[in-house]
Amino acid sequence: MKILSVDDSGIMRKIIRGAVDRLGYDFIEAADGQEGLEVLNVHVNEVALILLDWNMPVKDGYETLLEIKKNPVTQHIPVMMVTTEAEKANVIKAIQAGAKNYVSKPFQQEDLIVKMMETLGLGVS
Amino acid sequence: MSIETSHKSSLDANLVNAVVASTMHVMSTIASTEVQCKEVKAQTDYKPCGDISAIINITGHNGEGMLALSFPVQLASIIVSRLIGITPDKLSVEDRCDGVGELVNMISGNTKSKLSEQNNTLYTLSLPTIIQGPKHHVSTRPKNNPYLLMLFEAEGQTFNLQVSFKTF
Repeated sequence: MKILSVDDSGIMRKIIRGAVDRLGYDFIEAADGQEGLEVLNVHVNEVALILLDWNMPVKDGYETLLEIKKNPVTQHIPVMMVTTEAEKANVIKAIQAGAKNYVSKPFQQEDLIVKMMETLGLGVS
Repeated sequence: MSIETSHKSSLDANLVNAVVASTMHVMSTIASTEVQCKEVKAQTDYKPCGDISAIINITGHNGEGMLALSFPVQLASIIVSRLIGITPDKLSVEDRCDGVGELVNMISGNTKSKLSEQNNTLYTLSLPTIIQGPKHHVSTRPKNNPYLLMLFEAEGQTFNLQVSFKTF
Protein backbone atom coordinates (compact mmCIF):
# COMPACT_ATOMS: atom_id res chain seq x y z
CA MET A 1 0.00 0.00 0.00
CA LYS A 2 1.04 3.60 -0.59
CA ILE A 3 1.09 6.86 1.33
CA LEU A 4 0.62 10.01 -0.78
CA SER A 5 2.39 13.20 0.38
CA VAL A 6 1.14 16.45 -1.15
CA ASP A 7 3.47 19.34 -0.27
CA ASP A 8 4.98 22.11 -2.38
CA SER A 9 8.32 21.81 -0.58
CA GLY A 10 10.59 19.16 -2.07
CA ILE A 11 12.70 19.06 1.09
CA MET A 12 9.57 18.50 3.23
CA ARG A 13 8.53 15.63 0.96
CA LYS A 14 11.98 14.09 1.51
CA ILE A 15 11.58 14.46 5.29
CA ILE A 16 8.15 12.80 5.11
CA ARG A 17 9.47 10.10 2.80
CA GLY A 18 11.98 9.11 5.52
CA ALA A 19 9.10 8.53 7.95
CA VAL A 20 6.98 6.66 5.39
CA ASP A 21 9.93 4.38 4.54
CA ARG A 22 10.37 3.56 8.23
CA LEU A 23 6.69 2.65 8.42
CA GLY A 24 7.14 0.24 5.52
CA TYR A 25 4.72 1.85 3.05
CA ASP A 26 5.48 2.89 -0.52
CA PHE A 27 5.81 6.62 -0.99
CA ILE A 28 4.17 8.67 -3.74
CA GLU A 29 4.16 12.46 -3.95
CA ALA A 30 2.77 15.60 -5.53
CA ALA A 31 3.80 19.27 -5.35
CA ASP A 32 0.35 20.89 -5.15
CA GLY A 33 -3.27 19.98 -4.57
CA GLN A 34 -4.19 19.66 -8.23
CA GLU A 35 -1.27 17.35 -8.93
CA GLY A 36 -2.17 15.46 -5.76
CA LEU A 37 -5.68 14.76 -7.05
CA GLU A 38 -4.24 13.56 -10.36
CA VAL A 39 -1.76 11.23 -8.63
CA LEU A 40 -4.55 10.00 -6.35
CA ASN A 41 -6.73 9.27 -9.36
CA VAL A 42 -4.02 7.02 -10.83
CA HIS A 43 -3.32 5.15 -7.56
CA VAL A 44 -6.72 5.37 -5.89
CA ASN A 45 -6.98 1.66 -5.05
CA GLU A 46 -3.52 1.53 -3.50
CA VAL A 47 -3.49 4.67 -1.33
CA ALA A 48 -3.85 3.97 2.39
CA LEU A 49 -3.26 7.53 3.63
CA ILE A 50 -3.00 11.04 2.22
CA LEU A 51 -0.75 13.65 3.90
CA LEU A 52 -1.77 17.18 2.94
CA ASP A 53 0.07 20.47 3.37
CA TRP A 54 -2.22 23.51 3.62
CA ASN A 55 -0.45 26.43 1.88
CA MET A 56 0.35 25.36 -1.67
CA PRO A 57 0.19 26.95 -5.11
CA VAL A 58 -2.46 26.03 -7.72
CA LYS A 59 -4.81 24.31 -5.24
CA ASP A 60 -4.29 24.54 -1.48
CA GLY A 61 -4.63 21.67 0.96
CA TYR A 62 -8.02 22.68 2.31
CA GLU A 63 -9.61 22.84 -1.16
CA THR A 64 -7.96 19.52 -1.97
CA LEU A 65 -9.35 17.98 1.22
CA LEU A 66 -12.85 19.14 0.27
CA GLU A 67 -12.55 17.56 -3.17
CA ILE A 68 -11.23 14.27 -1.79
CA LYS A 69 -14.11 14.07 0.69
CA LYS A 70 -16.70 15.06 -1.92
CA ASN A 71 -15.66 12.32 -4.35
CA PRO A 72 -17.33 8.94 -3.55
CA VAL A 73 -14.29 7.13 -4.99
CA THR A 74 -11.78 8.81 -2.64
CA GLN A 75 -13.77 9.93 0.41
CA HIS A 76 -12.96 6.77 2.38
CA ILE A 77 -9.20 7.38 2.28
CA PRO A 78 -7.97 8.92 5.55
CA VAL A 79 -6.38 12.35 5.26
CA MET A 80 -3.88 13.83 7.71
CA MET A 81 -3.00 17.52 7.47
CA VAL A 82 0.77 18.18 7.82
CA THR A 83 1.06 21.93 7.95
CA THR A 84 2.30 25.09 9.66
CA GLU A 85 -1.35 26.15 10.07
CA ALA A 86 -1.46 25.35 13.78
CA GLU A 87 -4.26 27.68 14.94
CA LYS A 88 -7.13 25.88 16.63
CA ALA A 89 -9.63 27.44 14.21
CA ASN A 90 -7.82 25.87 11.25
CA VAL A 91 -7.49 22.50 12.98
CA ILE A 92 -11.26 22.49 13.65
CA LYS A 93 -11.98 23.62 10.07
CA ALA A 94 -9.94 20.74 8.63
CA ILE A 95 -11.41 18.13 10.99
CA GLN A 96 -14.94 19.33 10.19
CA ALA A 97 -14.10 19.00 6.48
CA GLY A 98 -13.12 15.37 6.99
CA ALA A 99 -9.45 15.31 7.96
CA LYS A 100 -8.81 12.42 10.33
CA ASN A 101 -5.66 13.81 11.98
CA TYR A 102 -3.47 16.90 12.12
CA VAL A 103 0.28 17.41 12.53
CA SER A 104 1.85 20.84 12.98
CA LYS A 105 5.23 21.62 11.43
CA PRO A 106 7.89 21.43 12.74
CA PHE A 107 7.69 17.84 13.94
CA GLN A 108 10.13 15.13 14.92
CA GLN A 109 10.12 12.10 12.63
CA GLU A 110 9.03 9.78 15.45
CA ASP A 111 6.00 11.97 16.17
CA LEU A 112 4.99 11.92 12.50
CA ILE A 113 5.28 8.12 12.44
CA VAL A 114 3.08 7.81 15.55
CA LYS A 115 0.46 10.12 14.04
CA MET A 116 0.47 8.15 10.77
CA MET A 117 0.04 4.90 12.72
CA GLU A 118 -2.87 6.39 14.66
CA THR A 119 -4.51 7.57 11.47
CA LEU A 120 -4.01 4.21 9.78
CA GLY A 121 -5.51 2.44 12.79
CA LEU A 122 -2.27 0.61 13.53
CA GLY A 123 -1.47 -0.20 17.15
CA VAL A 124 0.76 2.33 18.89
CA SER A 125 2.40 0.91 22.02
CA MET B 1 20.78 39.28 24.02
CA SER B 2 20.66 43.06 23.60
CA ILE B 3 17.63 44.94 22.30
CA GLU B 4 18.18 48.33 20.71
CA THR B 5 15.06 50.47 20.32
CA SER B 6 16.22 53.71 18.76
CA HIS B 7 13.44 53.80 16.12
CA LYS B 8 9.77 54.24 16.78
CA SER B 9 7.78 51.34 15.40
CA SER B 10 4.73 49.23 15.97
CA LEU B 11 6.99 46.27 16.65
CA ASP B 12 6.62 45.16 20.22
CA ALA B 13 8.01 42.71 22.70
CA ASN B 14 5.29 40.15 21.96
CA LEU B 15 6.36 40.00 18.31
CA VAL B 16 10.05 39.74 19.22
CA ASN B 17 9.35 36.98 21.71
CA ALA B 18 7.13 35.10 19.23
CA VAL B 19 9.75 35.22 16.46
CA VAL B 20 12.66 34.28 18.72
CA ALA B 21 10.75 31.39 20.34
CA SER B 22 9.53 30.14 16.95
CA THR B 23 13.02 30.25 15.44
CA MET B 24 14.56 28.31 18.31
CA HIS B 25 11.69 25.78 18.29
CA VAL B 26 11.87 25.15 14.53
CA MET B 27 15.66 24.81 14.45
CA SER B 28 15.84 22.44 17.40
CA THR B 29 12.80 20.30 16.52
CA ILE B 30 13.30 19.56 12.85
CA ALA B 31 16.97 20.45 12.25
CA SER B 32 18.48 19.31 15.58
CA THR B 33 20.27 22.65 15.76
CA GLU B 34 20.46 24.76 18.89
CA VAL B 35 20.45 28.49 18.18
CA GLN B 36 20.90 31.55 20.36
CA CYS B 37 19.50 35.00 19.75
CA LYS B 38 22.44 37.36 20.18
CA GLU B 39 20.97 40.74 19.32
CA VAL B 40 17.76 42.51 18.28
CA LYS B 41 17.92 46.00 16.85
CA ALA B 42 15.61 48.34 14.98
CA GLN B 43 16.31 49.62 11.47
CA THR B 44 14.37 51.46 8.82
CA ASP B 45 14.47 49.27 5.73
CA TYR B 46 15.14 45.73 4.57
CA LYS B 47 18.88 45.19 4.36
CA PRO B 48 19.78 41.66 3.31
CA CYS B 49 22.99 40.35 4.81
CA GLY B 50 23.54 36.76 3.74
CA ASP B 51 24.06 34.56 0.68
CA ILE B 52 20.61 33.02 0.63
CA SER B 53 17.34 34.57 1.82
CA ALA B 54 13.75 33.41 2.09
CA ILE B 55 10.94 35.92 2.46
CA ILE B 56 7.34 35.40 3.45
CA ASN B 57 4.45 37.82 3.92
CA ILE B 58 1.89 37.71 6.73
CA THR B 59 -1.49 39.40 6.38
CA GLY B 60 -4.47 39.72 8.67
CA HIS B 61 -7.44 42.02 9.05
CA ASN B 62 -5.64 44.15 11.67
CA GLY B 63 -2.09 44.10 10.35
CA GLU B 64 0.47 42.90 7.82
CA GLY B 65 4.16 42.26 7.70
CA MET B 66 6.97 40.11 6.47
CA LEU B 67 9.77 37.89 7.69
CA ALA B 68 13.07 37.49 5.85
CA LEU B 69 15.50 34.77 6.88
CA SER B 70 19.09 35.07 5.62
CA PHE B 71 21.96 32.62 5.94
CA PRO B 72 25.57 32.44 4.86
CA VAL B 73 25.62 29.60 2.33
CA GLN B 74 27.81 27.31 4.46
CA LEU B 75 25.49 27.51 7.47
CA ALA B 76 22.42 27.02 5.26
CA SER B 77 23.99 23.84 3.89
CA ILE B 78 24.74 22.48 7.38
CA ILE B 79 21.23 23.12 8.72
CA VAL B 80 19.27 22.03 5.64
CA SER B 81 21.31 18.85 5.22
CA ARG B 82 20.27 17.87 8.77
CA LEU B 83 16.62 18.07 7.74
CA ILE B 84 17.08 15.10 5.45
CA GLY B 85 19.94 13.33 7.22
CA ILE B 86 22.72 13.79 4.69
CA THR B 87 26.11 15.50 4.82
CA PRO B 88 26.33 19.13 3.60
CA ASP B 89 28.52 18.19 0.61
CA LYS B 90 25.73 15.93 -0.73
CA LEU B 91 23.12 18.71 -0.61
CA SER B 92 21.97 20.07 -3.98
CA VAL B 93 21.55 23.81 -4.60
CA GLU B 94 17.84 23.20 -5.24
CA ASP B 95 17.38 21.41 -1.91
CA ARG B 96 19.35 24.11 -0.08
CA CYS B 97 17.07 26.83 -1.47
CA ASP B 98 13.94 24.77 -0.84
CA GLY B 99 15.08 24.00 2.71
CA VAL B 100 15.65 27.65 3.61
CA GLY B 101 12.19 28.39 2.19
CA GLU B 102 10.66 25.68 4.36
CA LEU B 103 12.47 26.99 7.45
CA VAL B 104 11.04 30.49 6.98
CA ASN B 105 7.64 28.90 6.32
CA MET B 106 7.73 27.03 9.63
CA ILE B 107 9.11 30.00 11.60
CA SER B 108 6.42 32.26 10.12
CA GLY B 109 3.70 29.68 10.75
CA ASN B 110 4.68 29.29 14.38
CA THR B 111 4.95 33.06 14.81
CA LYS B 112 1.53 33.68 13.30
CA SER B 113 -0.03 31.04 15.56
CA LYS B 114 1.37 32.85 18.58
CA LEU B 115 0.18 36.23 17.24
CA SER B 116 -3.25 34.78 16.45
CA GLU B 117 -3.61 33.63 20.06
CA GLN B 118 -2.47 37.01 21.40
CA ASN B 119 -4.58 39.13 19.04
CA ASN B 120 -7.53 36.73 18.67
CA THR B 121 -7.38 36.98 14.90
CA LEU B 122 -6.32 34.75 12.00
CA TYR B 123 -3.40 35.62 9.75
CA THR B 124 -2.53 34.28 6.31
CA LEU B 125 0.93 33.40 5.00
CA SER B 126 2.15 33.86 1.44
CA LEU B 127 4.28 31.21 -0.20
CA PRO B 128 8.00 31.81 0.44
CA THR B 129 10.26 33.55 -2.08
CA ILE B 130 13.89 32.44 -2.10
CA ILE B 131 16.82 34.51 -3.34
CA GLN B 132 20.36 33.23 -3.65
CA GLY B 133 23.56 35.11 -4.42
CA PRO B 134 26.06 37.22 -2.48
CA LYS B 135 25.06 40.87 -1.87
CA HIS B 136 21.59 40.34 -3.29
CA HIS B 137 19.07 43.09 -2.64
CA VAL B 138 15.30 42.96 -2.31
CA SER B 139 13.21 46.08 -2.85
CA THR B 140 10.19 46.30 -0.60
CA ARG B 141 7.27 48.68 -0.35
CA PRO B 142 6.44 50.87 1.41
CA LYS B 143 9.93 52.26 1.87
CA ASN B 144 11.19 53.24 5.31
CA ASN B 145 9.07 50.67 7.09
CA PRO B 146 10.42 49.94 10.55
CA TYR B 147 12.19 46.59 10.72
CA LEU B 148 13.68 44.52 13.45
CA LEU B 149 16.97 42.81 12.71
CA MET B 150 17.47 39.70 14.83
CA LEU B 151 20.89 38.09 14.88
CA PHE B 152 21.12 34.41 15.77
CA GLU B 153 24.11 32.18 16.28
CA ALA B 154 24.34 28.51 15.36
CA GLU B 155 27.37 26.28 14.80
CA GLY B 156 29.64 29.27 15.48
CA GLN B 157 28.12 31.24 12.59
CA THR B 158 25.54 34.01 12.41
CA PHE B 159 22.25 34.11 10.53
CA ASN B 160 19.57 36.75 10.72
CA LEU B 161 15.86 37.35 10.60
CA GLN B 162 14.42 40.68 9.57
CA VAL B 163 10.85 41.29 10.63
CA SER B 164 8.37 44.00 9.85
CA PHE B 165 4.82 44.07 11.16
CA LYS B 166 2.45 46.99 10.94
CA THR B 167 -0.97 47.13 12.61
CA PHE B 168 -3.79 49.02 10.92
